[in-house]
Amino acid sequence: MARLWAVIKREYLERVRTKWFLIATVFAPLFFGMITIFPIWLTARSARNVDVNNILVLDASGRGIGKRVQFALGSGPMTERDTGKTQVIELDTTQLAAAELAALDAVVKRERRGYLVVPPTIMSDTVARYAGRNASSLVEIGRISAALRDGILATRLEEEGMNAGRVMQLTSSRRIELSADQIGDRGREGRGGLVKYFFSFTIAFLLYMSIFLYSQNVMRSVLEEKQTRVAEVIVSSVRTDTLLAGKVIGVGAVGITQQILWIATSVALLYLRAPILRALKIMNPAISIPSIPLSVALLLLLFFVLGFLLYSALFASVGAMVNDDREAQQAQQPFTLLLVGTIILVQPLLINPSSDLAVWSSIFPFSAAVLMPLRLSMTSVPAWQVVASIAAMLVMIAVAIWIAARIYRVGLLMYGKRPTLGELARWVRRSA
Amino acid sequence: MSEAAIEIRNVEKRYAAHVAVRDLSLVVPRGTVYGLLGPNGAGKTTTIRMILDIIEPDRGTIDVLGRSHRDRSVQDDVGYLPEERGLYRKMQVRRVLRFLAELKGVKAKEADRRIDEWLERLTLRTAGKDWGAAKVDELSRGMQQKVQFIGALLHDPELVMLDEPFSGLDPVNAQALKDTVVELKRRGKTVIFSTHLMENAERLCDAVCIIARGEKVLDGTVSDVKAAHGARSVALALDADASPAVKAILGDRSLVTRADDSNRFFEIELADGGDAGVLLRRLVEAGAPVRRFERVQPSLHRIFLDRVGASGVEAGMSGHG
Repeated sequence: MARLWAVIKREYLERVRTKWFLIATVFAPLFFGMITIFPIWLTARSARNVDVNNILVLDASGRGIGKRVQFALGSGPMTERDTGKTQVIELDTTQLAAAELAALDAVVKRERRGYLVVPPTIMSDTVARYAGRNASSLVEIGRISAALRDGILATRLEEEGMNAGRVMQLTSSRRIELSADQIGDRGREGRGGLVKYFFSFTIAFLLYMSIFLYSQNVMRSVLEEKQTRVAEVIVSSVRTDTLLAGKVIGVGAVGITQQILWIATSVALLYLRAPILRALKIMNPAISIPSIPLSVALLLLLFFVLGFLLYSALFASVGAMVNDDREAQQAQQPFTLLLVGTIILVQPLLINPSSDLAVWSSIFPFSAAVLMPLRLSMTSVPAWQVVASIAAMLVMIAVAIWIAARIYRVGLLMYGKRPTLGELARWVRRSA
Repeated sequence: MSEAAIEIRNVEKRYAAHVAVRDLSLVVPRGTVYGLLGPNGAGKTTTIRMILDIIEPDRGTIDVLGRSHRDRSVQDDVGYLPEERGLYRKMQVRRVLRFLAELKGVKAKEADRRIDEWLERLTLRTAGKDWGAAKVDELSRGMQQKVQFIGALLHDPELVMLDEPFSGLDPVNAQALKDTVVELKRRGKTVIFSTHLMENAERLCDAVCIIARGEKVLDGTVSDVKAAHGARSVALALDADASPAVKAILGDRSLVTRADDSNRFFEIELADGGDAGVLLRRLVEAGAPVRRFERVQPSLHRIFLDRVGASGVEAGMSGHG
């Protein structure tokens, strides 16, 4: 037990001490923070940049539509804006040509963004003109045309005899919040279908990445001991089983440490997001991250551990049977393909997490570790399927470890030619 | 407590293509320095690995310190310096050593104390420089070898197995290692080392076993081995250069098989049936200015060459003894 502990401690500490670990642990949450805050900030910024201020409204309607446009432009969403710069000039048709020339000059000199001409016929044919530096901005032109529409509408209501204050109240544009619910084959699937989709995909992908990375870490650790010839000293002190177990547990613990740190900082960032956004002068937009119940979260962790155990046993045997990195690249391909094949199934499962393909691929032990959590995060999975998935993995882990430990025992001190499948089978039999 | 540190009985190890060790039996008494001698590929490393239960013999039994070599408790009483040396390259020297000690059940604190002691003793820690704080990578090969040697001794083992300990060491470090071996023996430990350098074996060992092609050629205490092979050697020293008459006598194949000529000093091997008395009388009659005429024991080197010969070095083997 003391020896196992010594091996675990070395594997763990030597990894945690590396720069790589520090970088990955610090930068991943920063990255996560970036992707949660940056898009919001970006959207808010571009919204704020919609510059429909400082334009000149040449109002020849004779009905005060210009003033209404000015008001509507000022009541846009997201940020308070300075409408003072937008100027309305009420004039009649004869003055229009001269005023337009002057306005053009002002835009050329960059004193104004553009100018809007509200002709007298506006109420009947609803045709107006805008010219300006931002004429190609769909958002800005959209905003101006919406303001114009509001103005016309308000005027019409007033002309129909509605009280001016009431009209003002009714037409001032409010930002509309449209919540979108996903409906699937089995009915309503809750709020934010798209967000959930990406969320589930992220979970699957993170599981895939971490299982892959940490299993490879075990392989590299085995290979290092073999290449540096440390292996011989170590196996004169501990049983190969102990050494292998220590490696897998030590590296696995690094993985879990890292993920706990990631999750903790991510959660902290989530809580800190509101103050950060406020500091950036962005009103907190209501984007909800789907919440996972604790029981599902624990299942996710369990599947990570199971997947890691299975693949690290497989990759450890690869590390023991090869002589260098190049050979390892080749020899690990069958197992890498199993994992990559799993990732290929993610897309169809996201579309239909309850299909037969989904059910069986999430029970198949080589893909279960990624695909079952994917389904769990998307829909409710029948208990028997979860149990079957875990059971299948446990059986496969037992088999993989049994074989890997034997290949490991013989392979660790074998140098030279890479063994053939027949030789591998002999190793397994002989050390049984 | 068993008298023997190691007792090997009828051990055999085959690999697909060849027999690495064939029906080997030997006994290493406790408290001795024991040399396992043989050319490359003779089966030395295979034997050592079997003793340490790193590989399993196909046949035969091995007892270490009175217990079966498969008994896990044995490992804590044995220190091992493998022929293929290596340490974790990116790890700090002190941490590597602590790890190796912990694998043998030494507590971290006690390990640290011993590590300092050893680093100083083997001059890896001086007033100016502490190599213990450096990474293994930064050490020269010789220093790495010393670190590994320390690693084999940190848990103060009863039995120390050193596989080709002198290869790659400069004379100063080799001497430090020899001093340590002598010191271990003085403290009642048993030291086994394999080597193909007979000179080292001759000076250090109490007993030896010579193996070649996986088989034992001879074993016993160094003095017994020499006595058994010493009857036919004569050391001759002259006061002047050998005259043609003297050279003729030494060339007489009925009397002398071989005379290693070092001008005024000769190591002579008598022919079968050749008599030392006859040789001396003829030399004196020929007027040779004899200063010394002595029957001597041959060097291990001589014995090794006689018994194993060039044919003992089998080509194309794995490279691990």
